Order: sequence, then structure tokens, then C-alpha cells
Amino acid sequence: MSDVLLEIGRNARARAVVSALGLPIPLPVPLRRARGPWRERPLADASVVVGASAGAELAPVIAETLAAAGANAYLTGTDSIASAFVEPGEAYGRPARPFSALGDNERVAGVVFDATGLRDVAGLRALYETFHPLVSRLARSGRVLVLGRPSGNGPAAAAAQAALEGFVRSVAKEIGRGGATANLVRVEKGAEARLGPVLRFLLSPRSAFVSAQPFVVDARTKMSDDKPPFVRPLEKKVAVVTGAARGIGAATARRLAEEGAHVVCLDRPGDDGPTSQLARSIQGTALLVDLGADDAPARIAEVVRGLGGLDVVVHNAGITRDKTLGRMSEKQWDEVIGVNLGAVVRTHEALEPLMREGGRVVCLSSIAGIAGNVGQSAYAASKAGILGFVAGLAPIVAERGITVNAVAPGFIETRLTAAIPVAVREAGRRLAALGQGGLPEDVAEVITFLASPGAAGITGRTVRVCGGALIGA
Amino acid sequence: MGMSGKTGRRAVVVDGLRTPFVKAFTDFTKLDTIALGVAATRGLLKKANLGRRDVESIVWGGVILPGTAPNVGREIALDLGLDPACEAMTVTRACASGLQAVTLAAAAIERGEADIVIAGGSDSTSNAEIKLPQKVVHALAPVALGKADPKAILGAVGKLAPFTDILPTRPKIAERTTGEVMGEAAEKMARRNEISRAAQDAFAARSHHRAAAAMASGRFDEEVTPVEASEGKWVHADGLVRADTSEEKLAKLRPVFAKDGTVTAGNASPLTDGAAAVLLMSEEKARALGYAPRAALTSWAYVGVDPADQLLMGPALAIPKVLDRAGRTLAEIDLVDLHEAFAAQVLCVLKMLGSAAFARERLGKSAAVGEVDPARLNVHGGSIALGHPFGATGARMVTTMANELVRADKRTALLGICAAGGLGAAALLERID
Repeated sequence: MSDVLLEIGRNARARAVVSALGLPIPLPVPLRRARGPWRERPLADASVVVGASAGAELAPVIAETLAAAGANAYLTGTDSIASAFVEPGEAYGRPARPFSALGDNERVAGVVFDATGLRDVAGLRALYETFHPLVSRLARSGRVLVLGRPSGNGPAAAAAQAALEGFVRSVAKEIGRGGATANLVRVEKGAEARLGPVLRFLLSPRSAFVSAQPFVVDARTKMSDDKPPFVRPLEKKVAVVTGAARGIGAATARRLAEEGAHVVCLDRPGDDGPTSQLARSIQGTALLVDLGADDAPARIAEVVRGLGGLDVVVHNAGITRDKTLGRMSEKQWDEVIGVNLGAVVRTHEALEPLMREGGRVVCLSSIAGIAGNVGQSAYAASKAGILGFVAGLAPIVAERGITVNAVAPGFIETRLTAAIPVAVREAGRRLAALGQGGLPEDVAEVITFLASPGAAGITGRTVRVCGGALIGA
Repeated sequence: MGMSGKTGRRAVVVDGLRTPFVKAFTDFTKLDTIALGVAATRGLLKKANLGRRDVESIVWGGVILPGTAPNVGREIALDLGLDPACEAMTVTRACASGLQAVTLAAAAIERGEADIVIAGGSDSTSNAEIKLPQKVVHALAPVALGKADPKAILGAVGKLAPFTDILPTRPKIAERTTGEVMGEAAEKMARRNEISRAAQDAFAARSHHRAAAAMASGRFDEEVTPVEASEGKWVHADGLVRADTSEEKLAKLRPVFAKDGTVTAGNASPLTDGAAAVLLMSEEKARALGYAPRAALTSWAYVGVDPADQLLMGPALAIPKVLDRAGRTLAEIDLVDLHEAFAAQVLCVLKMLGSAAFARERLGKSAAVGEVDPARLNVHGGSIALGHPFGATGARMVTTMANELVRADKRTALLGICAAGGLGAAALLERID
């Protein structure tokens, strides 16, 4: 179960030996992760370099987000964005400085490049000019964020905007060995105000295992005028987590509770022990239900009604019955499809009327659902079905302020993956750009973010938590 | 807060008096915080010609409280031989403790709980108790509180090993949550708000020059009482003010909290021993007894900020609150008195008050709170020059400003104090005719 290479990597002396001997072992770097609940200033005193292409439009949001999150901004390239940084810098005592003011030996915690102004292929050169001197200066678990628009105006602009994705995916692989991540955020016109919390999350250590992918921020979902809270985002909210007994479900239930939610921990009656224990430790409610049973949705709805309503649902429960198609029994096929997809749809239908304005639905998918996998035809079908479900449901509930998203974990260190044969397991870990498996907590962090009021700009999407794995990338 | 409330009563500042403020571990080393409080209160009673039975209550502020007698206020009453019926309490709100005592007294008077209250504060850094580590306390408890047989003693010794971490720790003014020493916080704020060393030194020099001028002119005579420090040795005047300092001299001092820093011993408030007391009454009572009330506390506010961010910015949030509650703008205020924990901290707060961006983002206001004209700011110097016995400072400021309103024929004085834990305080004094 334990990752030997990661353990060696933790030991500075062992690292030195491996490197001195010239062994071709890529030692993964231990990822920097956050502990405890969200904090007011997750980027306290972090040095973040900000660059932009000409005509970039997001500088005000970036400036405001960085200053409020406690980061010190260093501006590079074009001077056009500097004016946007003056006011937030003054208000929070975080004046932006030119990149040249950063000491030569100082590491860079993050780089944000605003490419929203990018309209032609020639403009791509700014990417090279900005990142070329910076990649080698990224701190351990550093962050690269490129901001773009979902579609360009005309073919040349579309080409330039599309290029950003290939760039980010490759940079992610390049910097992954240092525990650093790279992501692209495409911001729809009119959704600029919803970017802040996304930036905050992706720049923080909470996105430790999220890399090499595009995000889209749009304004489809109705949003309240209240500023989303920086801390305790789920206070006074009720959440249901299915499959909460262990692994990702348990980690998620804990994180949601830590952010203030009352969590209904749901699992099978056979998992009474761990489920009840978890519910007690987070002062939630244990609910023992077999999701395959006909009366399951009605029973969950009854409990939720007793709690006065519902804000967050995490459809996490899932099973695997891995068999090649030729060897798979009818029953196995039915079980996998029934629990992983059928139960999600049925449960949602029962709970949707109980959901309050601003609700959040998060469904667990899988990298297998995106990329496919030998022996997982049923599983992959069910998990790909989830992607369709969230995409189809999102526009329907948008009017009520509800978002629906899928989270697709890659190789996560759980009971399931510990059972995989050694060679396959090793391969699974090293395929990720970060060179290691993720933890259930890494997935829980992403789910918690998507469950928060600040995630109003993301709906109908799939977020991979795979450390930038090759498969499905 | 403040104002006469439902009762229609108004609390007024009748008088105030303090001991000289002297550097810690000098003249007042033998006087603990209670003795200093006794000295200030005794002087005040005498000056106001009050009898021992007249005072109904003492509200006292302190930061370094004596472990065996933390209710300093009550000890002062008993040591002075006040009527046993004169009840007392002691409050602590870090450097805002003295102001807290004054506003609590004002609130009690306005609620009709009392007519004559002495409020003030004192601190003796010279008598800070050296704390034993909890490990020692826990290990020795069976011996000290139980039967001290050889087995218990051996057991206790066993629990103390290793012996390196049982040494008493030197007391320092560090935040419990962040471990940051206050000077480091000031240093950080100076850097973040781009306050230069030169600006800090200039501010500190001005504080000294103004305090020295006030002393030379006799301006403080009515508010400072001589104290007998030891047999026959009397201290008559503040001991820390340097009339001869200058920006050039201050510029030579080395930064204390960071190698390339800007905060020095010269532009920070020093560790100080001293006490200050304020006499508050209901306006009705004061007039009935023939006193001429000087000022009333129109409004006050206490705020908190995250100590991990900008520890000492509290006054920038408390001041607009106080102005709003009183329905005033900063431009209308005649005198502003800010506690000078550090020159850097005062200059940061002033910058925040003057910033429209700060007002928009942090206060939800459309315009800056306002600029403070140096001519009406800390007109007789502040804590950098005079010193800062933590609990006494608020009461000193109330006294000096109440007197200044009368002497200079002004209407309003605004007080601002920053305090450990990320706290801030402000109060508005208005002259009474």
C-alpha cells in the first residue's frame, strides 16, 4: 500500500544518494497539502507572479483575489495591468511590485497568466516570454494558472485560445515532478465576477492533485448577491454523502463537516460500524440504506425532510465488478450499472425537490469513465454516464441556483487501489504528472470546493483529480 | 455605545491624574502595579478633594496582572482605605485596558449603577512574574499539594527530565496564536504599507519634541502627580522623554526585529512602569457637588482583526465606527490622539484612514475616512516619548485630551488604540460647557 518511492523522496539523504548514483528513478516530491478548514488568507505571504497578454481583461479580479488571499503580487511583462493592482494593494497592504523586485533566489509560489486578450497566433509568444524564465523558479507544489476565454472570435483567435490547453497540459507534465500543477481556466464573458473563488482554490494547496486540465467558469447558474464566504462556507447547510463509511466518502464527509455542514453519512447497513462512528465524530447523522433497494430514495428523502432541507449532495457510493466483457455475468453488469448510475439518477430525482436555492450536487465519476479501461466496460459505462447526467441536469436546475458537477478521481490511495497487483499499482502511480497517487483527502478538497457557494461559476463540468495522469488527459 | 441611553443620564470626565511614566527596571522597580495604582488614585482623590466614602466603584485596567491578586482595582481600594462598600473590578483588553475601564465606568454611570467611579489602569513591567513551564507545574503538583514522601519527590524529578525545557521562560510580548512578537508585527506592517524608516523616525522625533515642550511649559503639571519611589526619593516627572533627540540621531539606531528592518528602539514605545486614573461622575452629581465636568464620552467602539494579518491595524476599523455612531466625520474632529505603540503602526493606520481603496474594500464606504492633519494629531506627544505602561495608556489619553479640550477651547477629541490579539479601540470625547 505505502508508496516506497515517495517515502524515499521524503528523506533528503536518500534523495541525495539516488541522485549521486545517477539512478534513473524519478523520485516524486511530497505534495504540499492544507490541513484543517479553509482560511481567510490561504496564500498568506506567497509570491505570485502575474503576467498578461495585451488586451487582457481579468486583472481586476486577479488583483482583488490575490490581495484578499494574502498573496504578494509581482507583475511581469505588460504594464497595462498594473493600475488594476493599485487599489487592492493599498486596501490590504499588499502593494504589487515589478517582478524584478523579487530576489533572484526567491521561489515563486504561483504564476497567473491572463490570456483573455489573446486574439492571434503571434500573441502566443507571450506564453514563452512569461514562463520561460519562471518554470525553473517554481516552488515545490507551485501553481501555474492560465486564464483564457472559451472560444475565440474567429478562427485565428480560436486557434490561439485552443493552443493554451496544449500548453498547460504539457507544462503540467514538465513541472509535475516538483509537485507543481498547471491548469487552464476559461472564463465566459459575463462570468468574471465568479472567477475569484476558483482562482483562490486552484492557487491554494487544496488543489494539490488537480492538474493538466481546463476549467470553464460561466454565468449559467443563478447566484445570490452575497459575497461567497472565505471561511466556513457550508455553515448552516445540510449535506448528504453516499458511501461515507470509508475512503473518499469518509474524507469528504469530514471535510464538509469541517466547513460547517451537517452531514448525513449514508452507507450500506453492513457498514453500520464505520458509518456510525464517522457520523458521531463529525456530529452528523448516520443513515444505513442499501442504495439498490426500491425504497432507498424515499427513505433518504424522509431523513432529509426531517433536517429541514438539503444543500449539498455527494453521490459517492460506487462498486466495481471488474471482468472482461466476455466473462462478465448478467448480474455483475446489472449491479454495477444499477448502483453507480441508476441509483444516482433515482436518488437525485427524490432529493431535487428538497434542495434549497444555491444547492450543490457532486457526482463521483472516474478516469476510467473518461478513458476506458480493460475489464471495466460496465464500470466505465456507468461512470461515463455520470458525465452525461451532470451535463444534462446542469441547465435544468441552473435557474434555482443549483450546480451539478462530476469529479473524476485518478489513482487514489484507497482500499480499492491497495488491492491492485503491485506492477499495475506502480504504473498507476507513476503515470501521473505528479508521479504519485493522490489521497482521498485530495478528492474531498475538490468536492468541498464544488459544494461551496463560491463555486457558482462551475456547473455541468467534470473535474479530474488525477495528478495529471496520462490516461484521459 | 455611549450617549445617555434610556436613563437620560450622561457620564462625564471630571478629572484625571497619573504617575510619572518611567522606564521599566528603573525608579519604580520596587512598586508593583497595585502600588502604582494606589499612587495615581490617591493623588486623584486629593486633587479632586474627594472623601474616602465618596467613591462607589473602581474599574481598573491591567495587562500584567499579579497572580496572587489579579483584581488590582479592589486591592487599590483596600490599600487606600476606601469604604469597604466601594466595589471594584479589573479588566484586561491588552493595551486598550485603560480605555476599557473608562468606557465601562461610563456605561455603568449611564445605566444608573453608580454616580462616582474611578477608572484607570496600571502596569509594572518591572514586576512581571517569571512563569514556570506547565511541565514543571504538573510534575511538582503531587509534591506541593500532596504528601511529599521520597517516592513522590523522585517521581516528580523523573517527570522533569529532560531538564532543558524546564527553565523559566523570559516574558515577552508575543502573540499566543502566531508567536509573533509585536515589533515583528509592526515591522511587517511597515513593509506591507510602505512606511519608510525616515517617516517613522520623523514621527518619533516629533513625539519627543511635543512631549518635551508640554513638560517644559508645565502643561502636564495638572495631570502628573509626584510619586515616592523609595525612602525619600520622589519622582516628579516622566523619565523617558528626550527633548534633544532628532531624526538624525534616531536614524543611527539599528533595527531590532529584522536585519533590513525599519523598527528601532527609537521609533517604538518603550517598556514602562506607571499608572493613570480618571474620575467619572454622572453629570447631575458632578454639578450638584460643584465640579466643572470637562468632557463626555460620546461614543466608543472595540474591534478585532486577524492577528496573523496586520496585528495593529485595529484603530483603522474602530475609528470609523466611532465616528458613525456619533454621526461625525473625521474632518469635523478637533483633536486626534493615537496610541503610539510604534511609529510604523500609527503611520499605517493614518494611511488606511486616508485611503479610498481601504474604505471601499474594508469598510464598505464610498470615500476615505479622511486625512489627519499633523497639527491636531498627538499634540503633546504619545507613547513613544512618554512611555506605555500597558493598562495606563488609555486613561492617560482620556485625561490629556479632556484637559486639552478645555485649555485649547476645542469641542471634540478622537482616541485610537491598538492592542495585542488584533484588537483595536476608539472613543470620542466631547467638551462639556
